Amino acid sequence: MSKTILIDPVTRIEGHSKISIFLDDSGEVTDARFHVTQYRGFEKFSEGRPFTEMPSLTARTCGICPVSHLMASAKACDALMAVEIPQTATKLRRIMNLAQLVQSHALSFFHLSSPDLLFGMDADPARRNILGVVEAHPQLATDGVMLRKIGQEIIALLGGKRIHPAWVVPGGVSEPLSEEKRDKILSMIPEAYAISHRTLAWYKDVLEQFREEIRTFGNFPSMFMALVTPQQQGEHKAELEHYDGVLRFVDASGNIVEDQVDPSLYQDYIAEAVEPYSYLKSPFFKALGYPKGIYRVGPLARLNVIDRCGTPKADMEWAEFRALRRGVILSSFHQHYARLVEILYGIERIEQLLNEPDILSNHVRAFAKPNKFEGVGVAEAPRGTLIHHYKIDDNGLITWANMIIATGHNNLAMNQSVKQVAQHYVKSDKLKEGMLNRVEAVIRTYDPCLSCSTHAIGRMPLLVELIGHGGTVLDSVRRD
Amino acid sequence: MKRVLIIGCGNSLRGDDGLGRTAAESLETLLANPRVEILQTDQLTPELAEPVSRAGLVIIIDASHTGHPGTWTTEDVTISAAGNSKLGHHFTPASILAYASALYHANPRMLLVTVAGRSFECSGFPSHEENPGVPFRYSARLTPEVEAALPDVLRHICALVEREIGAEMNHNHVV
Repeated sequence: MSKTILIDPVTRIEGHSKISIFLDDSGEVTDARFHVTQYRGFEKFSEGRPFTEMPSLTARTCGICPVSHLMASAKACDALMAVEIPQTATKLRRIMNLAQLVQSHALSFFHLSSPDLLFGMDADPARRNILGVVEAHPQLATDGVMLRKIGQEIIALLGGKRIHPAWVVPGGVSEPLSEEKRDKILSMIPEAYAISHRTLAWYKDVLEQFREEIRTFGNFPSMFMALVTPQQQGEHKAELEHYDGVLRFVDASGNIVEDQVDPSLYQDYIAEAVEPYSYLKSPFFKALGYPKGIYRVGPLARLNVIDRCGTPKADMEWAEFRALRRGVILSSFHQHYARLVEILYGIERIEQLLNEPDILSNHVRAFAKPNKFEGVGVAEAPRGTLIHHYKIDDNGLITWANMIIATGHNNLAMNQSVKQVAQHYVKSDKLKEGMLNRVEAVIRTYDPCLSCSTHAIGRMPLLVELIGHGGTVLDSVRRD
Repeated sequence: MKRVLIIGCGNSLRGDDGLGRTAAESLETLLANPRVEILQTDQLTPELAEPVSRAGLVIIIDASHTGHPGTWTTEDVTISAAGNSKLGHHFTPASILAYASALYHANPRMLLVTVAGRSFECSGFPSHEENPGVPFRYSARLTPEVEAALPDVLRHICALVEREIGAEMNHNHVV
């Protein structure tokens, strides 16, 4: 008799979702699925809105990464206006995007994953939470709060407020950076470095304890995709690029499959499949077809596709990271490590950009009416590549919108990761804590954000069901 | 000196889920006082522990999935183990309080004001046609039941703040 184990919804990820694990007659896992049950629909209700509203509107789809939507949306609007925005505006947008990366990675690493990393996957859940971290390792917990605060403050200083700043606008940014704000941000950098170095050192120490998880947490061959710096004249070393650049696809052996891809041509390389069990679309690499064209995006992918980071401190850490394995790093467990390297890179780049001579320039916005009927904006969000694609009519009103979010790109990979972990750890028709936690933890390595759901009080329980052949519930656990 | 922190929580794209933010927006005018800090957020996040730790009274305003639409309640928030086990992107009020206590050794009084919502679907914003002459703002489109409850909720919160800091507020203007 085949059975299904349901974990609904996954705790410690954004939004609503559940995991189903399918067992065969002998109790072996045959398949597993990550379902996203909430409905987004933001693309549809964008229709009819003036395109100039899109950055602020789409930023409201997410309480965790609004800046990422601001960036991709503003870039799509720049494309509709067919303008090249002032250099200083590009640099200021980059700083805000990197601040978002730092604070978002901090949330994922310190607040969501550090309990597992500090106490182990089998520890008592009453202790294996962030308050347990506060008691056992207060420095780690304080660092997590401080790093997030630094990222949020940089966003607030640039944009006027922490959540949904209206400072990033089509054509650039609405206000230049003042000397006072520049200096205030620079004054936070030393503490951010200290936290970053301290945490990397701690993480590298504990990594050895997770050999089994590294081996089984989404450790499979797949492609990786991310933006990289475009080729210049002479020798090309592709560096980390979170705001602009070109797309690069790398295979599981590290071979470059596609390079220098204009992001606006994403549809030539990526298609989206729809599965009945999830509202989340399943993008795939067209040339390999569905579902073989599985690829991953995000911190691990970004560190896998580049030839170097492009900043000295991060480059040293990156070299050590890539030495973990010959070729590309395949285990999704290493997303944690990749986040820490990216945090360091983000701090370095913010410091570099703030010290550039034109960063206080008053020329930060280009003005234009729409000059094209179609525009694409692509940026790297903390969780991976974010694509906004708009079409407008003669009046500048949106007639069609498509958004591919990072969590969507990773949908196939998350499913495969859940299956791999379930096959390794789920060995009975009873759900045990350590087993459940690992299944959830592998999803958390991707730090999925499904935040278009509501957050009202009263809708965040964890329901675990074991369902037998014919739909009979054999076991059920609810954790409020 | 006593200080009050008000946090309006919710997603203004999702109908009644935006209640907390709409209330916070109104309170910025009604409670203009240097001892009152008002924040709007889509969801509770860990760094809120820091401003919470500096307050004597914290009021969190949020929509609720439970109850008859438009009914509202105020409850004292206490640190609880149940709130601690699911810390994530979405923090609970109890866990923010626990965080403030553990990290900053602060123990402010925290109240959670919730209004039961009817619709949490994507509702968009009032269109230009619906509000002619009104500049476009990203305010939530609340259902009539929740909209009707809002003035009472605002008056209630103003009274709580007044009791805490002893200041005269403009809540007579709530309509």
